[in-house]
Amino acid sequence: MFYYGQFIGLLYVDAGHVGLAQKEVSPLRRQLVLAAVAALVAGCATLVAGCATLPAIQTGASQSLVLRAKDRVAPALVHVRPVKEVFQRGKREEVSVVGSGFIIAPDGKNGGRYVVTNEHVAGESKFVRCVLFNKEEADATVVGIDPYTDIAVLKFDGEQGKLPYVTLGSSAKLKPGQVVLAMGSPHGLARSVSMGIISVTDRYLEDRGEEMVSPFNTWIQTDAAINPGNSGGPLVNLRGEVIGINARILAGAENVGFAIPIDIAREVIDKIIKEGRVSRSWLGETLQPTRAKTDDPAQKGVVVADVDPLSPGYEAGLRPGDVMLAIDGAPTDARYEEDLPAVRKRIADIPVGTRVTVSVLRGGKEIEVPVTTIERSLLKGNQVEFSEWGFTAVDLTATMVRRAQLPSKKGILVTGSQNGGIAANARLHSGDIILSVDKIEIADLVAFQALYKTVVEAQKPLVMLQVKRGALTRFVLVKQGEENGPQPDTASLESEGGSANVN
Amino acid sequence: MSTSILAFVLAVSAAQLDDGFQTRVIQEAYDRYTPAMCLVTYTAEITNPTSGETTKRDNSSLGLIVSAGGLVMAPGHMQLENSEPFNISVAVGQGDEEKKYAARLLKKPDDVNVCFIQLQTDDGVSFPYVRFTPGVPLHVGDPILLIGILSETMDFSRGIVTTRVTAVLEKPRPTYPIEGAIRYGFVSGPVVDCEGRAIGVVGFDLTSSEGGDLYVRSGHPLVYQANLFQKYIDNPPVETSEPGGEEAWLGIFTQPLNDDFAEYWGLEKRGGLIISSIVTGSPAEAAGLQPGDIITQFDGTPIRAKLDREVIGFTKLVRESEIGKPVNIKVLRDQQPMEFQITLMTRPKSARDAGEYVDEVLGVTVRELTTDVRLLLNLSEDVQGVIVRRVKSGSVANLARMRPGIIIMNLGDHPVASIDEFKAAIEQISADKPDEISAFCRAGAATGFFRLEPRWEDNAGK
Repeated sequence: MFYYGQFIGLLYVDAGHVGLAQKEVSPLRRQLVLAAVAALVAGCATLVAGCATLPAIQTGASQSLVLRAKDRVAPALVHVRPVKEVFQRGKREEVSVVGSGFIIAPDGKNGGRYVVTNEHVAGESKFVRCVLFNKEEADATVVGIDPYTDIAVLKFDGEQGKLPYVTLGSSAKLKPGQVVLAMGSPHGLARSVSMGIISVTDRYLEDRGEEMVSPFNTWIQTDAAINPGNSGGPLVNLRGEVIGINARILAGAENVGFAIPIDIAREVIDKIIKEGRVSRSWLGETLQPTRAKTDDPAQKGVVVADVDPLSPGYEAGLRPGDVMLAIDGAPTDARYEEDLPAVRKRIADIPVGTRVTVSVLRGGKEIEVPVTTIERSLLKGNQVEFSEWGFTAVDLTATMVRRAQLPSKKGILVTGSQNGGIAANARLHSGDIILSVDKIEIADLVAFQALYKTVVEAQKPLVMLQVKRGALTRFVLVKQGEENGPQPDTASLESEGGSANVN
Repeated sequence: MSTSILAFVLAVSAAQLDDGFQTRVIQEAYDRYTPAMCLVTYTAEITNPTSGETTKRDNSSLGLIVSAGGLVMAPGHMQLENSEPFNISVAVGQGDEEKKYAARLLKKPDDVNVCFIQLQTDDGVSFPYVRFTPGVPLHVGDPILLIGILSETMDFSRGIVTTRVTAVLEKPRPTYPIEGAIRYGFVSGPVVDCEGRAIGVVGFDLTSSEGGDLYVRSGHPLVYQANLFQKYIDNPPVETSEPGGEEAWLGIFTQPLNDDFAEYWGLEKRGGLIISSIVTGSPAEAAGLQPGDIITQFDGTPIRAKLDREVIGFTKLVRESEIGKPVNIKVLRDQQPMEFQITLMTRPKSARDAGEYVDEVLGVTVRELTTDVRLLLNLSEDVQGVIVRRVKSGSVANLARMRPGIIIMNLGDHPVASIDEFKAAIEQISADKPDEISAFCRAGAATGFFRLEPRWEDNAGK
């Protein structure tokens, strides 16, 4: 995606198993982190000095405030240990990770007992072991997830009797400087509490087209110690109300943590409990603040930076460069990037399939564009292992289709292949997009699964795939029943070197 | 008794020498060729192909003077698709006699991985040079003598290594791998046979990731026989800044039709070239060739590629065809033979030959979008702009957070599809002196805007 700001290297804060840990300190990300640190040091020297102050609140009357707030939330704190499904090197594996969570009030209708945590903690898991504050264990299952806000809701299995729960506060009127407590399991150490203040209430973290996006909210930034394992744990005010969900830290920095504002989370939690999922409207737009085009404060609206060619917005005639002034008459102003999440959320909150009128400014004229929204694609596609061939693949999301510049959403993306496997021998590798099998176009993962099943069961000796990588396509011949030794010279002269092989 | 033992020992060493090099030959070769050996130092500007960011690194390698006029042959790795040498300086002679010369890089040959450099001298200087003997046959096990330079810690002294031809590969052209690990200082050094003749140089082929296509024997030291490069010594290549000879272009990417593919399609005749991709805007596209078509004949020449490296012959055939004259291409489509008359075009400019423009107003260096970059970045034809190569630190563009790799499509209301349009836009902007310019750009697959705020007073002061 398009990003124009400084790099911010972020880490998820689930403590965890080695695989994830390795993934998160990949060289690339480390570079980004360094870049971010350099930028901060260069840009604002006071930031460097700011972390040494200890709140005076630790003494006297203030002490009782902290104790009271902690006591109100702590009993509902949960140490979350999901068994997650991960896809690595062409294989599906299960790994145990550690995170945090908290019990919320029972659902009025069914009386179910729910735990809130992060999607990156409990997503892709069928089984979650929870350890309660009293050290008792209880198992839970995932009710629903929302990767766009990084929220997951779990439900305890069976009867749980009386359980303590937290009070959800409001994040609307938070102030920087306000004292907060972060609670959870840093590095897997359950029942931990740390204290700090709110550093910034509306931190904008750029959508960089990676997994860690949160396009619909700004973040609460705090200096309360947050570490890997704190993910999903509550950020609490001195009244003992949950005002945020801790989810990110700035890697390499000291005490720069980020929490999802509870007002955003509350809506998502409610939707997950009611409907099991969160659906959002999509026009295909990428937005930038008006500042990206002009510093003129009289310029209202928000800049349309990009329009996905396979979107209703594009079909309706929205184009990059348009300034979106209003939707159905309600203004969509974003002068600063911090204003963007609210505008994106406005669009997302439109019921899917609604016909709206988008007012845009184009070439000095205001025009109205009627457009019917469609549902926003999932952030992550379904992933499956194909064990006979030794590879894993995922359904294409709108973002992937855009990035690969495919003419349609047809195809699946290879996410990994096992060394020595049939797929790897045919030189099918992570990043390849499979377009067809034996000349039959593949619509999606389900369609591929069906075709795959047929050819595997029939033990067809040769299966031909058409594969796209970057701008180029190639043919891949899969030799079933040959697991050892790569085939020489199957193809892929063109996979590297760009122009080198243009004949 | 003792004399007979002595005789025996002598006999053995004589036999060993017969099979290899006589000390006299080594000494003579050393004396003859080392004066023509020189040390090439240069700075390489290395471009990250995805981000366009550049880094600079100082390097040195062996050079071999191959003409009295100061033509120097150096390792081909000096000049790669994403690495351009500059500040080239050549030290000729050793110790007190060492003399440094500035040098110009010439256009790199595309059929052998060597570079040519022309020493810049006051007129009349005549250099000692190596005269090659082309066409000397080589066999497995033939002993050869290599002369090179040792490392900096050894004062770049000249040194020798004797080794043997490890194997003889016949296709696609005769190739002679040599034994053992060869130090970098021996690459491009003379290869001398038992009779003291310089029969070639030590070379390394390019890997495909280094931009190699004609050279497919990468990763192993080879003897580049003199036949491969003598033509460049006789007719030195033009300078890099001048456009090279035009080559014909069809605009396809191919895969060899190996036995498995032939079996899959039930083809009896083995060999051929499968078209895997077709470049937009190419003659192949205009003629209606399709991915999956199998080329069996090109202008009367049967195409029988089964292995990757056999594609080379076809590539060469296309490149050397006449531009603008129709060629006959026979293909199999769904097992059915078809024929196409295709008029080849001039091969589009590559990024290396593309024009660049250093702009002082915004602080960016931009380059035109070439076909190879379009393919690399997966850009469709409707993306028209210039690509940012460098952003000057502290510049207007830097402040706006522009970065290398971004494609500028519009500056304000001015479309900038070419360097000329970019220059014109900058001129217009410099005349208008707006407070801010909105640049419409593309990064990866997505588009967006950058707001640039030119500092007019700064520029006026310059």
